[in-house]
Amino acid sequence: MLNFIVILPFISAFLIALVYLKDTKTKRHIFYTSLGVGTPFLITILSFLTAFDFLNSPQTIHNTLFEWVHIGDFNIDISFMADRLSIVMISFISFIATLIHIYAAGYMRDEEGYGKFFAYFNLFIGSMLLLVLADNPIMMFIGWELVGLSSYLLIGFYHHDADNIKAANKAFILNRVGDFGFIIAISVLFISLQGHGFTFGDIKANIGLINHSTLTIIGILLFVGAMGKSAQIPLYVWLPDAMAGPTPVSALIHAATMVTAGVYMVARYSFLYIEIPNVGLFIASIGSASALFAAIIASYQSDIKKILAYSTMSQLGYMFIAVGLGAYSSGIFHVFTHAFFKALLFMGAGAVIIALHHEQNVFKMGGLKKRLKLVYITMFTATLAISGIPPFAGFFSKDAILVTAFASGHYIIWASATFTAGLTAFYMFRLIFSVFHSKEKETHELHSLDKRMTYPLVVLAFGSATAGFLGVNSAYGGNDLIVKFLNLPDIEYHIAHSTEYILGAINVILGFLGMALAYKLFAHSAVEARPDTPLKALVINKFYVDEFYEFIIVKPLLKMSEFIAKTFDPKVFDGVINSSVFIYINAAKLFAKLQNGKVRYYAFYILVGASLMSCYLIYKLGVIA
Amino acid sequence: MSPNPFFLLSVLLFSIGLIGIVSRKNLFIAYMSVELMLSSVNLILATLSKVLGDANGSVMALLLIAVIASEAAIFLAMIIHLYKYYKTLDSDKLDDLKERS
Amino acid sequence: MARSLAVQEINTLELIIFCILSIFMLGGSITMITSKQTIFSAFGFLITMLGLAGMFALLDSRFLAIAQIMVSVGAIVVLSMLTILTINSKDENLPKEEHKYKLILLSLIITLPFAILLYKTLSTLPHYFATTKAINAKIVGELLFSKWILPFEIISILLLVAMLGAIVIARGKIFKKEVHK
Repeated sequence: MLNFIVILPFISAFLIALVYLKDTKTKRHIFYTSLGVGTPFLITILSFLTAFDFLNSPQTIHNTLFEWVHIGDFNIDISFMADRLSIVMISFISFIATLIHIYAAGYMRDEEGYGKFFAYFNLFIGSMLLLVLADNPIMMFIGWELVGLSSYLLIGFYHHDADNIKAANKAFILNRVGDFGFIIAISVLFISLQGHGFTFGDIKANIGLINHSTLTIIGILLFVGAMGKSAQIPLYVWLPDAMAGPTPVSALIHAATMVTAGVYMVARYSFLYIEIPNVGLFIASIGSASALFAAIIASYQSDIKKILAYSTMSQLGYMFIAVGLGAYSSGIFHVFTHAFFKALLFMGAGAVIIALHHEQNVFKMGGLKKRLKLVYITMFTATLAISGIPPFAGFFSKDAILVTAFASGHYIIWASATFTAGLTAFYMFRLIFSVFHSKEKETHELHSLDKRMTYPLVVLAFGSATAGFLGVNSAYGGNDLIVKFLNLPDIEYHIAHSTEYILGAINVILGFLGMALAYKLFAHSAVEARPDTPLKALVINKFYVDEFYEFIIVKPLLKMSEFIAKTFDPKVFDGVINSSVFIYINAAKLFAKLQNGKVRYYAFYILVGASLMSCYLIYKLGVIA
Repeated sequence: MSPNPFFLLSVLLFSIGLIGIVSRKNLFIAYMSVELMLSSVNLILATLSKVLGDANGSVMALLLIAVIASEAAIFLAMIIHLYKYYKTLDSDKLDDLKERS
Repeated sequence: MARSLAVQEINTLELIIFCILSIFMLGGSITMITSKQTIFSAFGFLITMLGLAGMFALLDSRFLAIAQIMVSVGAIVVLSMLTILTINSKDENLPKEEHKYKLILLSLIITLPFAILLYKTLSTLPHYFATTKAINAKIVGELLFSKWILPFEIISILLLVAMLGAIVIARGKIFKKEVHK
């Protein structure tokens, strides 16, 4: 069963690509849509079936496709493993992917590369499932790389614009930097295991063999990979630029699935990270810093998709706080709920963009409350969820994370995360009010929205509203369903129920405060922020991080490349070869002068040769007159 | 009297002929130096004929003289032709087969 | 004893004759290669050939000596002189050879090892003459027409071919190419 779940999207991508490449101009929408959307739908059904299996008999399923590499101790099989964690992940991944595929069928219906899009999209789904269902680190890395590749292909989908290609390159390169750490980590892990097998089960069993400092190195380097993939500081700069891709891509990849691969990876390696709590603290600090940083920047952005991108980065920071401090289930739970409302927000934003004929500046929109009623209601629901207002999904997951932070004694992290929660509410409602409530700027006729774009919104809104109930913890009367199901080695923090209530109340109050502030500032007349003061200019320009990277890394590299290409290569390498050629040619010319056509000279050469030979013979025969 | 002086003389004549070929540009001198070299071989043959008490060497020398004669005919005909053609007796001016760069 | 005395006597006379003849020959050949005028070289050549004929006679190859004079001197040298005089190039048309003596010296030095080797090789042959009769026409004729009949015929063909070739070459048309230099 697991084989099919992973293989089917690849096969479908391959088929779509073949048919598309046969003739790129013919519109075969029915074929592409049926294959492209049908596959995730089928995958969803298969995943749910497997999940039902799990509810009844909890165990780990292994499915081997074939043996791949057997070199001495290095045995890698193409095999898939499904345990509780993977099942939860593939269930919601495939479900949300199906919805987004349906949405994309409506969003991309007029696009030229419709078939190509679905081929890439299915490739992505296959890669993500490969990553999640991997049995060993190598397989996970293959999936890791493939999702990076799909992300690159999809960001650069509108390839006629050079800026999009640059954004795609940026995403891929920064991913690569992270993957460098990841590869080193896997290699060190393999070496230090000394041949005791390399599947996750084997590693978990033999984790005691590795000494603490090596484990620390492995943990940090694995997180470097997660930094790149999940857009944390310092490898986050690709995420805002990745919004150049089509909106379904942003919804699926850069909100719900790919960027959560880092969190999943830390959860998968939970048996490793519980041994090294210092690295966990480091992870949590990076997470909280990224969350705060992104929230500050998002409060001053004007592009609707960029606001959502920074919001994603911020929420990912929350997830890393959770898994860093050992609350793996809470992190995964937040991944789960975040997928719902973030996908919904992106899809809604896409609907707004399409309706306003590709307008993306929030402050050029306004008063769409009545004209885009369905979109407004669903997006408002999602915003409530992300702001942590109960009883919507975000409250329970975010609350769990903040309680963990407080209970583990890291009050700085807790304080910054709580403040970030308030900021989250502020900037998200700023978006809602500017787009839907404030004075109308666009009075043109709206572009009609495809039904396929609006129905998934409804489903996701329902999910955002209710998904939280799966993880209500005991303080609020729930059964901790998710935590019990996931069965991850969480660190237990004991905290009184009253403290929990107080903390929860603080979150809610901050959420409402943020909403109120946004209402006051933006509900009636939304004005774009201008860089009046130096501080504001700093924030509006995203703290000049891109420019800093450009200055520190990109420009020196380019200069070095230019130096090597223009000076070093031609002068040194070509110069050496050229001078040796020059020497040969001149020597040849010199020898050519010997052949001057005069027979007398030729006779002289013969004479010289004979004379030399006779000299030698005289010497050998020992005759002197 | 031993044959060594004869050999010595023959070797000297041969060397002189060789030197003549290499040093002089005049075509006639080249021709005559070649004849000289062939004649020195004749001398060796005759000497050997006396050393071995055999008349074969003499006969060989005789036949060689005939060859020399025929070669002389051709050589001189060629010199005449070349003179008519190139208007020069300088062997250094006949360098059509040289390397052209 | 008388014979050895006679040999002794003949040796001295032979030696003197040999020396004189060799001086002629060497002088003639050196003149041949060093003189500026072509006709003087031809004269030197003539002297050398005559000396060579004398050498042949000294070596008891009488027929060869006469044949040498008849052919080599009488035909070859005469023919070359005829050609030289026919061409009759003026002094200024002769090739300019400014470094003649230097080249001759250089070639001499280079030829020296070769000559030494040749002489040393040749001197390993038995160094006494066998005492036989003089080789006269009868003996040569006997050999020529019995053992050496094939080379004889071939050489006659060679002479025919040479004759024809000489006629063709000397007469030949001048091609319509530009004559350079």
